[in-house]
Amino acid sequence: MSFAARPGPDRASDAHNDPRPRPSRDMQGSVTPLSILGPQVEAQRQRIREEFEAGASARETLQALCAMADGNLQQIFAQLLSGRGVESQGLCLLALGGYGRQLLFPYSDLDILFLFGSDKAERDFRPLISEFSKTLWDMGFRVSSAGRTLEECKRIEEDNAEFHLALLDRRFLTGDRELFERLDSKVLPGPEKQARPFLSAELRKLTRERLTRYGNTIFHLEPNVKESPGGLRDYQAATWLRRVSGEKQEFWNSTAAEEEMAAAAVDFLSAIRCFLHYSNERNDNTLTYELQAKAAERALGLPVTAVLDAQRSPAEWMRVYFRQARTLNRQLLRYIEQKSAGQQSLRQRIFNATRVPKIEAVNRTPFAVRDGLLEVMDQTALADRALLFSLFATAAKTGVPLSREAERTIAYVMLHPELPVRNAEITWPAFQEILASDFPGVALRPMQRLGLLTKILPEFAAIDSLVVRDFYHRYTVDEHTLRTIEHLQELASPPDSRGTNFSVLWKMVDRRDLLILSLLLHDVGKGMAADNHVSGSLTALESAAARLQLSPEEKGEVRFLIERHLDMSATVQRRDIFDPTTVSGFASVVQTPERLQRLCLLTYADIRAVNPEALTPWKAEMLWQLFVSTSNHFSRTLDRDRLHALDEVPVLQQVRKLTGSAGTEDIERFLEGFPRRYLAVHSAPDIAAHFSLYQKLGADPVQIDLVAKQRAYSLTLLTADRPALFATIAGALAGWGMNIMHADAFANAAGVVLDTFHFTDLHRTLELNPSEVDRFCKSLVDVIRGKAPLEVLLKSRESASRTRAPKVEVPTRITFDDASSMHSTLLEIVTQDHPGLLHEIGSALARLDCNIEVALVDTEGQKAIDVFYLTSQHKKLGSQKQETLRESLQGALS
Amino acid sequence: MIKLEAIIQPSRFESVKDALCEIGIEGMTVTEVRGHGRQKGHTEVYRGREYTVDLLPKIKLELVLPDKMVDKAVDTILKTAKTGKIGDGKIFLTRVDDAIRIRNEERGENALQ
Repeated sequence: MSFAARPGPDRASDAHNDPRPRPSRDMQGSVTPLSILGPQVEAQRQRIREEFEAGASARETLQALCAMADGNLQQIFAQLLSGRGVESQGLCLLALGGYGRQLLFPYSDLDILFLFGSDKAERDFRPLISEFSKTLWDMGFRVSSAGRTLEECKRIEEDNAEFHLALLDRRFLTGDRELFERLDSKVLPGPEKQARPFLSAELRKLTRERLTRYGNTIFHLEPNVKESPGGLRDYQAATWLRRVSGEKQEFWNSTAAEEEMAAAAVDFLSAIRCFLHYSNERNDNTLTYELQAKAAERALGLPVTAVLDAQRSPAEWMRVYFRQARTLNRQLLRYIEQKSAGQQSLRQRIFNATRVPKIEAVNRTPFAVRDGLLEVMDQTALADRALLFSLFATAAKTGVPLSREAERTIAYVMLHPELPVRNAEITWPAFQEILASDFPGVALRPMQRLGLLTKILPEFAAIDSLVVRDFYHRYTVDEHTLRTIEHLQELASPPDSRGTNFSVLWKMVDRRDLLILSLLLHDVGKGMAADNHVSGSLTALESAAARLQLSPEEKGEVRFLIERHLDMSATVQRRDIFDPTTVSGFASVVQTPERLQRLCLLTYADIRAVNPEALTPWKAEMLWQLFVSTSNHFSRTLDRDRLHALDEVPVLQQVRKLTGSAGTEDIERFLEGFPRRYLAVHSAPDIAAHFSLYQKLGADPVQIDLVAKQRAYSLTLLTADRPALFATIAGALAGWGMNIMHADAFANAAGVVLDTFHFTDLHRTLELNPSEVDRFCKSLVDVIRGKAPLEVLLKSRESASRTRAPKVEVPTRITFDDASSMHSTLLEIVTQDHPGLLHEIGSALARLDCNIEVALVDTEGQKAIDVFYLTSQHKKLGSQKQETLRESLQGALS
Repeated sequence: MIKLEAIIQPSRFESVKDALCEIGIEGMTVTEVRGHGRQKGHTEVYRGREYTVDLLPKIKLELVLPDKMVDKAVDTILKTAKTGKIGDGKIFLTRVDDAIRIRNEERGENALQ
């Protein structure tokens, strides 16, 4: 810590802060010549270094260095006084900061305060101090000094909190001891007590700034053992926080075991810092790859008896480093969260005395939100692990993080299972709930810290604190992985322009749980013995999928994302993304728009988490461009690629197996002519279910299947194609107050239409009245078969659901595209979503004799995005017809 | 000495870099840039939003070479960066007065090695 740059009271040291080496010279007066002292000091330094190399502990080394500095400094000071024939009355020297604590690292500065009894003493001693400092420099001591009179020490300098914090570690060195006693016992205690709130606030501020500078993580590939989170500065800041709080030891609620762990961590990190200083021969605290290897080779900081061969590998040794760093960082962060009355100003204390802390209970659970953090209110309840996981699910859904105290409670409960544990195994649906939430990282981060993540996903342990040498990556593999997820969740409100485009995707992406699971596993292979990390990660997926009981479709999606997690980035960087061939080639790999969305988000997050600068605006733009081109390619080429059932032997076999007695020819007839997307978006069991409905068409020409999903319903309908069919179904759903979110409409070669509608039940009619489900299904069938008039249904709904004014205005945009499809005209409509919209569009199309070959219906908030492949009398729409249709739609949608 | 600046397609960068390495040129500065010459941008519409790319992404390579290496480097870049389509980029050559290696203050062509 340097105070030298500060003007004013530092004037006594201004003349001698130049660190440049000076030529050796003899000192003036009758003192030991520098030519004798210099080599003596160097020999002492060398001896201490050799002792360290021979196995002396860091603590012994630091104390020896401190004693060596003290001795030399006292000797020089005494000789200068004696040479000038003066006494030290009115001047004393204090050691501050690390030197004050008697922890002096080999190439650290000596933080010294010259304390004067008066202004006159300062003037009188100035020449002596100048000579003293020059001598120290010449002997190889790096001095960082400040000067204050006793009077000046009574004031707290609000622009120099660092000085006051260093002053907390003051230690008498030499000179006028009575002056020091006055400062230590009379002058400083009052102002220091008064300044507690100020010092506490400043210390928190400085600490947060420092942690932010290092990305708020201990997991740097080449950490700075002093300043990085988890470094020695964390321990010092925690110690200062305790001291400036004025609270008793019990307030901090640290157990003896925690104190011991912290002390061991300090010893370990101190040994590394000594090693770094000696290796670099300067005050450089960066633990580089090269020095990691050397430190691991000599098992630095590890007890001799406990050294295993494995710990001699740099990766294993670094894991020990991160464990120790985590101890110090965890302690500091807990202290920062903890607030004491002593850290508050008088005004704050008066204000807080009148106010009860706000605690919001979380839905009849043993948790509560206090000061924006989740707290555990009933520790014993955590014996039920289902409740414990629900705490993490709450954090993931709300974005409210767990307090450090809550984490500590959980850690205690997990280590001391006095109460019988219930529901110990987490199920895939419970884990899914966390992964599919808006803030999965808020839960996964503490789960990893507490070891819960590796309980659910033991495969993740392979990358725990794993350093993989890489020119671009800045963090360990596990940290990189968690950052990918955090970068996605921050897309809810993107921190900068690089995320703006991708924000839309994050909000609408389907199966977010599979995306997050893929991210958790995508680099696990880096910690496994595998040919390449992707194949390792895929092996890990096999065991994870079996344990979590993922369905084959879920596993297939995760497999795809892991296997292809580098493809989109490689395409952006190595292919001409403006070339349609590149886009169609990439689309054929990805296969569906849903996968494309997930892969795009994964790629965005994966690049962004490499280091803060890895995703440049340039790369983000290229990635988005490829996404948009490929997405448009999908929606414009739907009818280009039709299924030929004979080419789809594996699917045929699977469907046949699932349907039992069905004949292959029947299945072929059913599949023939559907757009290829049909296979891409439906699993074999889905297709088998559709085929079963198809088989019943002979008995009943309208077949429907309604499935209730988590927040919506899915309706599948099979029937022979007929005019205005799509409009009729959409109208019937609107008549029941259902809001269509997505829809697909496909037809096979035989003219059988397969429509899938995903809708929400706006008025919860089906949820609150289960008996209405049958009536609803019958009503749909009746309307489609013409047995019940649609108009009556729509009329009854009209009066009940006057739509409210939209929150966001979406202008209507109608586009025709004749070039993308060989057979159809593409119509894209983007407009304000509202109940009944699809019926209005479908009716307008039917009135003008337009046949819907394929439809893709989607919504994004209050925006409807619908694509229709249209023909009229088996041909594309002519330009006149397009204009008429445009006018008709504009009239209907305005 | 000549300073060579090449604006190339991002997709050709790896090949150009490898080809330059093969002829013994390893030092270069690479910048992600945007711009256009005759190749104008284009507009894509996604979910009702227009995304206009009027400045196209390119890679800029900067190399300072001894005179004797310039023709070889230019040929290599031409061979590896050319796709024959509009937008392949350009090469600019300018004379450089001096070069100084900061570490040891070597000057001239010695500083380039």
